[in-house]
Amino acid sequence: MASNHGNTNSEPATNEQIITEFFAKSLHIILESRCPYVSSRNYSGEQVLSSPSSSSSSSSIFWPRDKWFNLALKDCSAALENIDFWRQSYLEPMVVDVVLVQRSSNWDPLNCSPKRALVRNLSSKERYYWNSENDEYRNEVMSEKIIERWVVEYESKKCSNIGGGGGGSGSKRWSSTSSHTLYKKSTLLLRSLYVTVRLLPAYKLFRDLISSAQIGMYNLGHRVSSFVEPFTHTEEAEMQRFVFTPLDTACGRLCLSVLYRSSISDVSSEPSTPMSPQFIPDYVGSPMADPLKTFPSGPLPQGSPSFSHLGRRHSWSYDLYKASPPSGIPSPSPSYSESHATFAKPHSYRLPPTGGTRHLPDETPQEHVKNTNYDEYSPSPNFSMSPSPSPPTYTPGIHISNALKRSESAPVSIPAIRASGIPPLFYNQMLPPSPPLRPSKSSLAKMDCRSTLLQAGSTVDKIFPFGKDEAGRLTGVKISSNSSPQKSISRSSSRLSFPDDYDESEFSGPFVVDEDDMTDPGSRPGSFDPVGNPCGQNDHLGVSAVKKSQDAAVGALVCMLKKAPPLQQDLQNSANLLHGSRPEILKATTIDPNQISGQPVMQQSAAMSSAASLLAPKTTADALEELHGYAVMKNSLLKQGGDHKHT
Amino acid sequence: MNCEVCQLKELVSLGPPEPRQEVEHIEVREVLRCILHTILFHRALGLVRPKDVDLELFDITYVQCGDVEHEKKINEKIDHFIDRVEKHPNKKNQICLSFYEVKNKQATWFTNKVERHYWEQWYINLNTVQHPKTHSGKSHHPKVVVDPGETASEERNARRTALESSLREVLFQIIKFVNEKKDHVPPIPNLDGVSFPYEITISSSSDSAFGMDMLKRMLQTGHPTMLS
Repeated sequence: MASNHGNTNSEPATNEQIITEFFAKSLHIILESRCPYVSSRNYSGEQVLSSPSSSSSSSSIFWPRDKWFNLALKDCSAALENIDFWRQSYLEPMVVDVVLVQRSSNWDPLNCSPKRALVRNLSSKERYYWNSENDEYRNEVMSEKIIERWVVEYESKKCSNIGGGGGGSGSKRWSSTSSHTLYKKSTLLLRSLYVTVRLLPAYKLFRDLISSAQIGMYNLGHRVSSFVEPFTHTEEAEMQRFVFTPLDTACGRLCLSVLYRSSISDVSSEPSTPMSPQFIPDYVGSPMADPLKTFPSGPLPQGSPSFSHLGRRHSWSYDLYKASPPSGIPSPSPSYSESHATFAKPHSYRLPPTGGTRHLPDETPQEHVKNTNYDEYSPSPNFSMSPSPSPPTYTPGIHISNALKRSESAPVSIPAIRASGIPPLFYNQMLPPSPPLRPSKSSLAKMDCRSTLLQAGSTVDKIFPFGKDEAGRLTGVKISSNSSPQKSISRSSSRLSFPDDYDESEFSGPFVVDEDDMTDPGSRPGSFDPVGNPCGQNDHLGVSAVKKSQDAAVGALVCMLKKAPPLQQDLQNSANLLHGSRPEILKATTIDPNQISGQPVMQQSAAMSSAASLLAPKTTADALEELHGYAVMKNSLLKQGGDHKHT
Repeated sequence: MNCEVCQLKELVSLGPPEPRQEVEHIEVREVLRCILHTILFHRALGLVRPKDVDLELFDITYVQCGDVEHEKKINEKIDHFIDRVEKHPNKKNQICLSFYEVKNKQATWFTNKVERHYWEQWYINLNTVQHPKTHSGKSHHPKVVVDPGETASEERNARRTALESSLREVLFQIIKFVNEKKDHVPPIPNLDGVSFPYEITISSSSDSAFGMDMLKRMLQTGHPTMLS
């Protein structure tokens, strides 16, 4: 291939452009098949209806970047946002680490500690984090492992004499490095890269993650940096290396290689909890499942008597699913949140510049994990998560700006509920062992399962104070075009965010007692006593009326039935008791006036009829009628509870 | 320009227990489709939008260039191959994927020579082994009737696992070959999709003819041919 002296001056520039675009394209190819949250995004702006794993050749729209190396790829925001550094200078190597984050639960309530703790293993790339936030339920051990390390680098050397080109060897050398040749070989190399990334074991993990409703015990994250800590001999021995044939240019050599673990395929086959955020109306402890079941009493603030059962995992997921934000940020289930805890774990690699490293303070400074890029967390507009039961598909690249605004954007004024979208593990990684933080909002303190996230939210202020100035974006370590050569650390994960407005009324039992009702002892259902003798619990019921909503009424009914006078009792005594109890009956029916529409009238009539029946001579029929009246009353009370649940 | 030849590792596929059992040919189809499309994708240097395809029998995802016409052409060739396999069971069959350049010579009134210059040839060696027959008929021991079926199933699973492993090796072999040899590839034409013309030929081995076919084909490289 003869050289064109006319284009001699433009050849180096063209080669540089080819090399720069090669970095971008290679990063795009790698992250497209390793980032679970950006891979499902459709081609932005294109009328493509293809699935994330396939594309249609009928699409005629190609972005300008697609035409580089004639390879049109799916949109990958993580790649687009992490390449800025290398667009400025491709002389720094680009190292892409694909990290496998695994979680293992260990139920050990005896060893629970109310404090978070960090257990780290600094000897290797595996890091373990122990989270005992939900110490009522389990301890979690997180581990990270680099399963792939892609290295793209341009080894520069003394440029050959390109001015001549007249000599045979010179022309031959020039022909081997002409732009056309370089472009062709780069195209071939990228084709091979595209195929290779799909043959490595990590691709299977990636596909499992993006598959529907598969919430496993692992997640994939990535780091893009220009300098990383090399593997130890032991670690490298466990990995295999694949080196693509370098491309020689006039001034250097373009190299691409990968170190990968071949023994990770068993991760995806581990038993996972196929959880999907489905609506569970009859979860354990729900009134619908067992209306007469007594809810466990716990420390509850006033005004929220129905949240005692929110400490249960099922109710937590139920709650969250009911009130997931419409923007599509996934609502976590108990296991889902755990997985999202792993997903958000990559946040740990987002370090403030003062933090230095993404890991512990005693990490070697060689780990130049400085720049973090949160853009991969940006919610995708195509994200299909809905508040109603739907599987957490992890689909989309979540726009980091929106996600952060929801959860981290305003570090100073982040409401705890918003900040609770960030899993606690992220902050476990960020901070050294520290005492637990208080939730910033008392309304959330009642939710034990959310306490960890609240603490995480409170921690945001401490971690990202620098990010306050950037329009709500935590970009203190973000790579920008104006920044000095820094590393770009980014992880893809989902954003675990709690719904901002969970529906408190959903957890109100049918006999929930408001605060106003609590202040009126006469209105308490438990105060009714036809015998005139308190059931022995009226005073106690008054004290615990907040907790006993439905139970109180049922208990009152049972008590009433127990204390009901015999059929042949003195009618005068019965009349006196009825007169005294009638106001209580009427008040009891007004516990929840918003929920009970026509019920008070019915109950009153039933009470009146039953009272009238006591005055007349008792017969078997009368007794049966009285019993029927009691049964009607009971059914009405139960129905109230059911109606109130469905509203 | 030299013609680079790549002899891919031989793959052993278990044929169907009965002839014309289309469902059992899926193994052969999957293997050939995977290999041919992978090679074509590496040679589709025009603008392509890759299409990831998951194999049904194997835990492998390969890439197509997304051209429907090429996919159809490959499927037709695979059908021909399967017909050949059925006609010549227990034989080593070979598919040759050749890329060439067309060099038109001066056409005359009577002849229209079109010279093809093959610059790359890929030989896919696929050995189809006949499915072992299961026991049938009477047996004095009832368990014996069950075991052969299980043994055959286990054997099939083992063969399939081995085939998947071999297929992965072949794919990496393709990748390495494509990476190591780039100079012989012609300049990228201004075309979308598959940039270079190609042809797919099928041959089956025989005791004496197979080697001759290979030698003949290698000698024909660089000479004008009119292969269909």
